[in-house]
Formats: sequence, C-alpha cells, structure tokens
Amino acid sequence: MVKAELIRRSPLRILEKSIHGGLKDGNVGVLASRKGVGKTACLVHIATDKLFQDKPVIHVSYASRVDYIITWYEDIFKEIAKERQLESALDIHDEIIRNRVIMNFRQNAANTDQVLKSIEAMIDFGKFAADTVMVDGYDFEKATCEDLQKFKDFAQKTGVRVWFSSSLKGDEPLFDKKGIPHELKGCLDQLDVLITLAYQDDHVRLRLVKNFDFPPPGDLKIKLNPKTLLISE
Amino acid sequence: MHCGYVNHLFDIDFIEIIEYNYVEKTFFLTAVLSPNQCSDKDFIQMNMNIEEMRNIGISAHIDSGKTTLTERILFYTKKIHKIHEVNGKDGVGATMDSMELEKERGITIASAATTVNWNGHVINIIDTPGHVDFTIEVERSLRVLDSAILVLCSVGGVQSQTITVDRQLKRYNVPRIAFINKLDRIGADPFKVKEQLNERLGHNAVLMQIPIGLENQHEGVVDLVRMEAVFFDGNDGEEVRHEDIPSYLLEEAEKRREEMLDAVSMFSDELMEAILEGQETEDLIHEAVRKGTISRELTPVFMGSAYRNKGVQPLLDAVVRYLPNPADVENFAKDLGNGSKEVRLEANPDADCVSLAYKLEDGPYGQLTYIRIYQGEIKKGDRLYNTRSGQTIRIGRLVKMHADNMEDISQAISGDIVALFGVDCRSGDTFVTPGLNYTMTSIFVPEPVISLAVKPVDNKSTDNLAKALNRFVKEDPTFRTYVDPESKQTIIQGMGELHLDVYLERMRREYRTEVETGKPQVAYREAISQRAEFDHTHRKQTGGAGQFGRVTGYIEPLSDGQYEFVNEIKGGHIPKEFIPSCDKGFRSALTKGQLTGFPITSVRIVLTDGQSHPVDSSDLAFQAAAREAFVQAYPKARPQILEPIMKLSVEGPSEFIGNYFSSINQRRGIIISSVEDGTFARVDAEVPLSEMFGYATVLRTLTQGKAEFTMEFLKYGKVPVTIAEELKKEYLEKRQKESAS
Repeated sequence: MVKAELIRRSPLRILEKSIHGGLKDGNVGVLASRKGVGKTACLVHIATDKLFQDKPVIHVSYASRVDYIITWYEDIFKEIAKERQLESALDIHDEIIRNRVIMNFRQNAANTDQVLKSIEAMIDFGKFAADTVMVDGYDFEKATCEDLQKFKDFAQKTGVRVWFSSSLKGDEPLFDKKGIPHELKGCLDQLDVLITLAYQDDHVRLRLVKNFDFPPPGDLKIKLNPKTLLISE
Repeated sequence: MHCGYVNHLFDIDFIEIIEYNYVEKTFFLTAVLSPNQCSDKDFIQMNMNIEEMRNIGISAHIDSGKTTLTERILFYTKKIHKIHEVNGKDGVGATMDSMELEKERGITIASAATTVNWNGHVINIIDTPGHVDFTIEVERSLRVLDSAILVLCSVGGVQSQTITVDRQLKRYNVPRIAFINKLDRIGADPFKVKEQLNERLGHNAVLMQIPIGLENQHEGVVDLVRMEAVFFDGNDGEEVRHEDIPSYLLEEAEKRREEMLDAVSMFSDELMEAILEGQETEDLIHEAVRKGTISRELTPVFMGSAYRNKGVQPLLDAVVRYLPNPADVENFAKDLGNGSKEVRLEANPDADCVSLAYKLEDGPYGQLTYIRIYQGEIKKGDRLYNTRSGQTIRIGRLVKMHADNMEDISQAISGDIVALFGVDCRSGDTFVTPGLNYTMTSIFVPEPVISLAVKPVDNKSTDNLAKALNRFVKEDPTFRTYVDPESKQTIIQGMGELHLDVYLERMRREYRTEVETGKPQVAYREAISQRAEFDHTHRKQTGGAGQFGRVTGYIEPLSDGQYEFVNEIKGGHIPKEFIPSCDKGFRSALTKGQLTGFPITSVRIVLTDGQSHPVDSSDLAFQAAAREAFVQAYPKARPQILEPIMKLSVEGPSEFIGNYFSSINQRRGIIISSVEDGTFARVDAEVPLSEMFGYATVLRTLTQGKAEFTMEFLKYGKVPVTIAEELKKEYLEKRQKESAS
C-alpha cells in the first residue's frame, strides 16, 4: 500500500468524522482511562497518522523516559507498516522522524508556564512548525482548570491542536451516568473532545463523551486491538 | 618459579612461588626482603591470591572530580605522600594526569595505570578519559578492566557524558559501583542523583550510605550495612572515626536501610530468609551486594567529597568487597589456527600466556607498552609471539606503573596489568606464548570522520612531524594519517575537531613541531541509490600479447555493509583464476567517486556473466574490465553524496533552551528530544558534522559558558541537494585546476 492510500484508509478517518472533522487549530482533546488500558498507544497512533500526513508533532511526556516513548513510536510504525504492507517503509520512516520531537518534563519540577514556554521555544527558535501537541502522562489530579486553560490559550495562540492522555485514579465508579470521568468534570469547559477507553470483551472500546457542543454519540465505531495496540475499525 | 608481582608491597629482592593451589587460586610464596627492610635477609611467607586482585577503572563526566578522587585513593593507599589537585595551584598537578597538556587543561586524556594496595588487596587503577572525543581511549581502557567506579557529581548528576561513559561500560559488560562526589557543593542532592541513575541510565541503583550533612555542613556518611556514622578526621581525612548515627538521621537511615535490604535481598535467598527472621548479618548483605554487582543487575551507591577528604576509604572497602576479581570475569580469545574459534581463557598462571597490549606511551625511556595478562604469566627474559605482526619479542624490562613513576618487577601473573619496555608493537596487539595463535577480540574502532591537511613550517618540524605521526598512529587507532597523492599534502584524520586539536597541541609540545593547518575537511562518501547494469569489454591490441576481458552484471545499493562482491557466473565464462581480479578491479574503482572524489560505500556488485580469451585474458585485463565497467554503470545508479551525521547532546540550564534549539536548527540539525528537569535541560539531536565546526565557541557565547555538549559519530546521511551541488562544483573546479597545472 502506498502512503496516500494508507492515510485515506486509516481508521482514524472514522474518528475524525465522528468529531466533525477532527480537532481544529486551538482545540483540546482528552483520552481518559485507568492506567494500562491503552491511552499512550492511541495517542501515538493518532500522532503517527499526523506524521504520515507530513504534519509535525511535538510529543510532551511527563511520565516516561524518552527512549521509552521512541520505542512506542517505532513499534506502532512497524505494526502499521506490517499490517498495511506499506511500500518504501524505510524511506517513510526516515521522513517522519524529522517531523517528530519528544519533550520530556517532570510535572513536579516544571510548571505549566515553563512547559508552554519550552514548547513555544521549540516552535519559534527550533523552527518546528508543530501541527499537533500530544501531552502524555499529564496528571489531572495535580493540575487545575487554570492549567488546562493555559494550554487551550496556547493552542489558540500558536494554532496547534492538543491531545492529552489522562490516567484516571480513585475508586469506582470512575464515570458519571453520562460516562464522563468524575476527575475531569470540573474542567469540561476547557475541553473540546473527551474520549474514554475501557476493556470490553477482547478489545478496548472507545467512547466519545464530549463532542464540542454537539450531543456525544457514545461508543465509536473504532476500537483498540490489545494485541497490535493499533486503533482499528 | 619466580614472581616479582608483589614488589610493590615490600622492597623485595627475590620471590619464589613454592606452592600454587589451582582450585583456590592461591600461591604460597617465599620472599627475600631487601636489605633496607630486612638486613638479616629474613624469609617471609605470604599468601598471594588472584581473588585479592582488582582491575578497576574510574569513569565519569569530565568535571565530576574523578582525578581528585584518584588522587585521594593514591594518598590513602600511601602511593603518594602529598595531595595535589588536578587544577593544581601548587604547579604539580594530580599524579594520574601524566601528560603535560592534560595538566594544563585540567582534563585526563591518556589512561595511565597504577597499582595500589588496600586491606591486603591489590588494585590496578586505570584512569579513563572523560571527554567523548577520546572515546577510543575509554574503550581501550574498558576492554582491560574487570569493573569500574562510576563517579557522579552530586549537583550535575547524570549528564550526557555520564550517559556515554555508562553506555561504554555496558558495551563491555563492566560491573560498576557508583560514587556520588562533591557532597560539599551548593545544591548537592545525592538522592536525586540516585534516582537519575535509575531513570536516565536504567540502573538498579541502591544507596549503601546516606550523607551526614550536605554542602558546607557535610561531615561524613552513614553506613547502611553496619548502621553507623563514619567521620573522616585528621588534616587529610586519613583518620576514620566510627560513631553512632546522629539521632536526627536515625529514622531516615532506617528507612533507607530497609530500601537497600529490599533491593539487595533479590540476589540471595539466604539473606531474604534471614531478613524475615530479623537475623540478617553484614556478611550476608555483602555477599548479596557482590552477587548483584557482578551480575550487573545492581549498582551500589556510595558518596562523599573527595576534595574534602570524605567517603574515599569506605569506597575502597566497597571496591574490594563488591567488585569482581580477574577470575570472576570470563574472557575470550579467538584461535586463529582453528578458524577463529572462540576460546575461553583461564586465569591460571600455569597455562600458556595470552596478553593484550592496550596502550602505548612514549616515555622518557622509550616506548612503554601497557599489557593486561589474561592467562598464564610473564617473566623477564620470556619470549612472546605477537599474533598480528608474527614477530617474537623478548621481555627485557617489566614494570608496574604509578603514573610517571615505575617499579621494576621480574614477573607478573594472569589478571594483572603491567608495562613492557622497548617492545615494538601497536595498540591492540595480542602477545602469546610461542606456539599459540590466539588473538583477543578486536577493540571496536570507528572510522575517522574528519581530516585536516598539515604542513610543517620548517625543516626541523618536517623531521619531527614524521616521528610524531608515527607515534600517534601507534597509540590511537582512530588517529590516521596519509599523504594525499594528488596534493602531496600530509593529511591527519580523527574523530572530531577536539580530537585533532589535541594531537596538534601534542606535536607542538612534545615534538616541537610547528605546522600550518588547512580547513578541516569532512569525510564525505558517495553511494548509489538504484540498481544499474553493466556489460563491458576491455580490449587492447598494441602488438605482442593483447588484453581481453568482458564482464557483465549489475551494481546495487547495499543496506548493511560497505562492499560486497558476488560471483554468480555459471559455466566458467570467466576462468576461476580471474574472478579475484574482477573483485580487485571493482574495489579499486570504489576508492574515488565521480561526484566528489570521496570513496564509494554501501555497494553490492554482482557478476553474472563474462567472456575470456585463451591468450589475451589476464589478471590485469580483468581488473581493467571491472574498473571500467563500474565507471560506466555508476552514473546510471543515481549516485548521491553522503555526509557524517553526529549524535549531539547539549546540556545546561533550562533558561537557555531556546538557544539550544536555535543553534541546532541553524546547523541543519534534527532535534530528537529534550528533557527538562527543573532548572536543567538536555537536548538530543542529529546534526551534520560539516556544520559543527566552532560549535563549542558558539555555545559558550550563547549560554555564558554554562552549557556543554558531546558529539559522536552516528551514521552517514544524504547531503541536501543544494549542498551536493556545491560539493560537485568544488570538485569539478579542483580537477580543472589540477589538469590545467
């Protein structure tokens, strides 16, 4: 399969369709679940899809080591290339690396202003024209709505879109009747899109619980395959 | 059997091994003491043991104070009687820094070896360089070590050079203990550094001590095994005082001891059971730590301040307690007489000798060759065979080294590191008992990536330049030199700007050679990007015997490797004896690409058919046919220019992160990642070497001298079209100029 066809037939087109064309400049989306369900896999798959489209991605990580994140990208790329029998995979791999940068912070040591300042420095001084910022391992328990608002303002100012992953903690039930995580309820105004992940039978289902100001459709027609860790139809 | 090995313990005239127990690796020796020690020539009986020998390195980031630490080790082991500093205000400089240049720059380049004694153990210390441009020095030192002390700065923690050095330790499977130094500095945080060991280096680090006070309050350490406070009294910290743990630290010490026991008990069921019963003993803990350390699954962490004379003696205790002896380590050689089959070496002095020359030094008394004995023994007067050169040498003088001082010995046994005098050899040569044909696994030697034309300014310098180059090439396999056949210029090649700078400096200082240098030249390469066919006949008839050879086949890119020749001819269209001629012809065509004149790499050449003539075909005819065929096929295979891409790591205060990004971006670099940990930041990137000249100055200017970088060769990458065009134009102009002249 050639790259253009791979992009066209990606299951992420279904996600985009469900959220009215995907996140736009200045939008903020969140993938939320308990730890170990597959948020990072989803985040990296969404980022890799952007990279296939030659759109630069900044991956901000709070929790993991850089080499660990790089391994995620390598594994997801390999799985996609294998599953879709991607032509000229090596050349494409070399191209997409140029459009990806990983920024690692300690949430304890770096406050939101500092993080945003560094991302801005990467865009301005590093001449890295980011399309999307992936924020992985962000601790929403420690963060305030003000912090999220700062990310949203930053996204609007710089014209990027931001995807967060959020590890939900605490006792059951994690979600309210509408499927919205209790932990994130206070900050819904700052979020445009909210997707939750949970195990269901042999796969991980993705449920859209906030869809801009539209009524959320609930379960999406895509799922996460726990074996390949790819989003599939 | 005679043994001079213990000469450094006592001033001994004569020693005889009267019994050797191979199972316990124990010698019983009889020694005659020198008259100054024992006027009646009393006999003493000593128990020498391979298990009481340690070969250690001290590896670290350049400013973590490892030379100061080494200096203190020499002082406490009574090898030196006065302490000097590396940035010595007393004009002496640290003893282990044997080169004048190093003393001036406050850095360590050469890996001098020295021997010390501690608690009845013999420790050979190899002082390894900290700067990444001298990696080959580090690599060679690591090859002969059995273990290492990884020194870290308690303020800077794990920095990019620490990562490089640690990677090298891992590559050679070297077990290590960590020493967090400089606890007296402002901002010292050993707990943070221990976390960094785990997070950044992937170690399983465990604190064996905690500090008693930090910064200017630093007084000593708490030993978590013995649960006691250790203080260092006297003018130079030489008096170790053991006390009860100060009450304000008791809770912390108990918590940390529990953590330590948790981690350590994973290596001993016996200890685990003892802990459950509350019966753990010091010996059980030591045994488990040793097991974990030797298996490289545990990094015990010690701490102190070498500069303030704190924490060094417990570190030495840890070296003998936890680090392996030569018999604990598996070493292998290749048997060249048996298809390079790997042979395990035995740390047995009675076996045939196998030893590796790992470092050469040009001293005031001639060439000094440092060797590590892996098997057997070496005695004065022995004959040894150099498996590379095929020469047999006679051991004249055998010495133990202490930086610039040496002690003559008459014999050394397996596991030991000694130096030979007056032996003509290269670094990396294997010396064996005649009759053996073993070679030690070759040390990984990267290809040089930068070259520089040098021209002596006068006749005296011309003579000395040859001597200097001859010496450097023998000492350092990554330093190369040749005379360019076209320009007749002497070219030196190395691993980076600083690497060559140091050699230029050494030319001036040690050989009084003044040279003018050209512009540093990056080692470009050419490579093809698609398959192209060839079918070429070489025919020449000039009276007498003619020349005839025809070759058919194709060339294609080779993804892993530099060159591959495949003969697929069936039916003998080219007689067998001319196939190597074709290979030789193709190889000669690769030495100079058509775009830039640089060598061609990563190419597979497949010969599918050909033709010969019963009279006119010859070795030369087929060489010419192959060479010409390649020249014809090459332009059709879409050749490209490749350049060396370096792995760059910049680190310093976070406040300058924008400067790091912009400086990398301006140099065509690709930023791979950045890590920010409070006020500290590190940026990793891939950058073309051609853009990195003078980067040290630029970075210094951008960051008020607060940031630093390391750089090492990563890969060859495609040159962008605009730059490729410039390079082609330059080459064309050069050729036109040459042909006009």
